[in-house]
Amino acid sequence: MKNTLKVERAILNLTQDELAQEIGVSRQTINSIETNRYVPSTLLSLKLSKVFNKPVNDFFKLEEHD
Amino acid sequence: MNKQKFCEAEERRLNWLINFKLPNYWKNIGWGIFFASLVLILSTKFLDGDFDLLKSILKKAMLIGLLIVTISREKIEDEFIENLRSKSFSLAFIFGVIYVLAQPLVNYIVSLILQSEKANFEDLGDFQILWFLLAVYLTAFWSLKRKNA
Repeated sequence: MKNTLKVERAILNLTQDELAQEIGVSRQTINSIETNRYVPSTLLSLKLSKVFNKPVNDFFKLEEHD
Repeated sequence: MNKQKFCEAEERRLNWLINFKLPNYWKNIGWGIFFASLVLILSTKFLDGDFDLLKSILKKAMLIGLLIVTISREKIEDEFIENLRSKSFSLAFIFGVIYVLAQPLVNYIVSLILQSEKANFEDLGDFQILWFLLAVYLTAFWSLKRKNA
């Protein structure tokens, strides 16, 4: 799965830390999601979707091998 | 109490146990207990006298200290940390079983080579096993956390 979290974050002009605080996780968690080391839960994805004001599918995309 | 209510209550209790964590400041208390006991155990080596009872109590205290560290919350305890915890626990469990099985064999082979007439199978003590489990868990958790920093 690939994601465009970094781009969405840039659009809103948020740092990793600010986004993390917004959805109640650590900066480490945001970093791991951005670098594709961690796949977040549905709950966290929906929280991100709320912050970005976009459906989850817009910033999380399945890859061919998924 | 009907069957469904009983099952629900059981599930709640189980979840409470699984999710139980001490507050973050307990982590320092745990390390404090661990290092204090470690220093005391080491210092008995330089003193004369019979410290067997004291040593066995201090060993237990070391394990309790590490257990407290293990079940204390991180500053921000989120699902990612939870994920790292379960990875570390499964790693510690698997390595623990392998260690318990392999270590006596390795000991036996080494002592066979060094002094063949005295070689015998000895199982690991509870302290060694528990110490190994906790140490592997904490090392794995720490290095996973660092890798993702």
